[in-house]
Amino acid sequence: MTKKGVVRVLLGTRKGTYVVTGDLARRRWKVGPPAHVGSDVYHVVADPRRPGDLYAAVNDNFWGPMVQRSDDWGRTWREVATPLTPLKKQRNPTFDADHPTASVPRPLNNLWHIEPGRAEESETLYLGADPHYLFRTPDRGATWEPVEAINHHPDRKNWAPGAGGHCLHTILLDPRDANRLYVGLSAVGTFRSDDGGRSWTPKNRGVRTPFLPEKYPETGQCVHHVAMDSADPDTFYRQDHGGMYVSHDRMDHWTRIGRPLGDDFGFGVASPTSAPGLAYFVRLDGRARVTGEGYLQVWEWNGRRRRWRGLLRPNDFPGHFGVQREGIATDTLTPHGVYVGTTTGQLFVSANGGTTWSQVPFQFPGIHSVSVAAPT
Amino acid sequence: MLKVRLDSWLSEFGPRGQERVEARSIEQLIEALERKYPRLRFKLRDETGNLRRFVRVFVDGEDVSGRAGVATPLTGSETIDILHSIAGG
Repeated sequence: MTKKGVVRVLLGTRKGTYVVTGDLARRRWKVGPPAHVGSDVYHVVADPRRPGDLYAAVNDNFWGPMVQRSDDWGRTWREVATPLTPLKKQRNPTFDADHPTASVPRPLNNLWHIEPGRAEESETLYLGADPHYLFRTPDRGATWEPVEAINHHPDRKNWAPGAGGHCLHTILLDPRDANRLYVGLSAVGTFRSDDGGRSWTPKNRGVRTPFLPEKYPETGQCVHHVAMDSADPDTFYRQDHGGMYVSHDRMDHWTRIGRPLGDDFGFGVASPTSAPGLAYFVRLDGRARVTGEGYLQVWEWNGRRRRWRGLLRPNDFPGHFGVQREGIATDTLTPHGVYVGTTTGQLFVSANGGTTWSQVPFQFPGIHSVSVAAPT
Repeated sequence: MLKVRLDSWLSEFGPRGQERVEARSIEQLIEALERKYPRLRFKLRDETGNLRRFVRVFVDGEDVSGRAGVATPLTGSETIDILHSIAGG
């Protein structure tokens, strides 16, 4: 007898938000009507504490950034309050001609990532934005407060943008410790707070910066994305501009694991909830920013065996695919699903931990983000 | 009174069609619209108070967006068109 239920894949694309609903076998898919049509949607995420609640980081070319929420699995959406940069506090008196971009007031540019709080923080959310800002809301987005200690970190004057801008794109919460959280910023690196966001320490030791004169600085790394291991929240998998890395000590030290792959550049990384110790990366050509092999290849890192495994064959999906930092996701089912969204609008799915793959038969706009809601 | 004509795309956030507004500058005009239609806040202007990049404001047919922008003075009898520019891909 087939188990009843659905799995929902949430896509943020160059032209709106899509909710793709599948059966638990993940064989049949139904693509819902798009929302936020015409807007760049950098991230869509389900709130696991409130089934049905979705949040979208909508960046509209004309009307600016907006946080939008749905209470009904994406059938309807409405704008909730969007945080603003605290301009009045920054205006002119601290202007420094040597570092003009550090103190000139700038409006909030793009919203990059929305992270629901821990299970016990029922209405808390975190938001990462450009220019290098972290916000927290205690009330599902009705009000937002800046996390000042990272937003005004003493090192901020040295923070440069990546190609995507001054983005704070990764937010990770330690599920065991309400005071420990992590952020990733481009082209700055990762930071950890052990006191609920009141202070932050750079955590980039061992991560090389091939694009800077100094090869192992404290900050300046262009981290692209980081995933936390589901069974061991001290372990992290990192896709950096400078390669693929792992840390087993809360980011105190990073070890490069990508060297056996040659060019270990890429953007996305994900680690499945039901299969700890594994992480998925899509290696891209460092110059072209597409799959250099000439076909889609997803690389599985097995931390126990310390071994890489390519999951696809050259004739499965030939082509040059781009995958962005939120472009790889996993689900919570067993066997776990792996999902890859491309910049040219294909959504590839494996329902069995990467053994076999298929493509959702729909041409989406270029995909910025893929995430998967817990099955219902 | 100013005659203000708004882009149909703006109906997502505020008024449809034409409005009559009392104002002596583009800034005052936008503030008046934002008071009446709160969802317009930060859609025409960002938090620095400047017009967003793809918002165009015409005073009696003349584009002031790239000139004085929100500081453009008004006598109070002009026709104002607020449009989004052709952009994107």
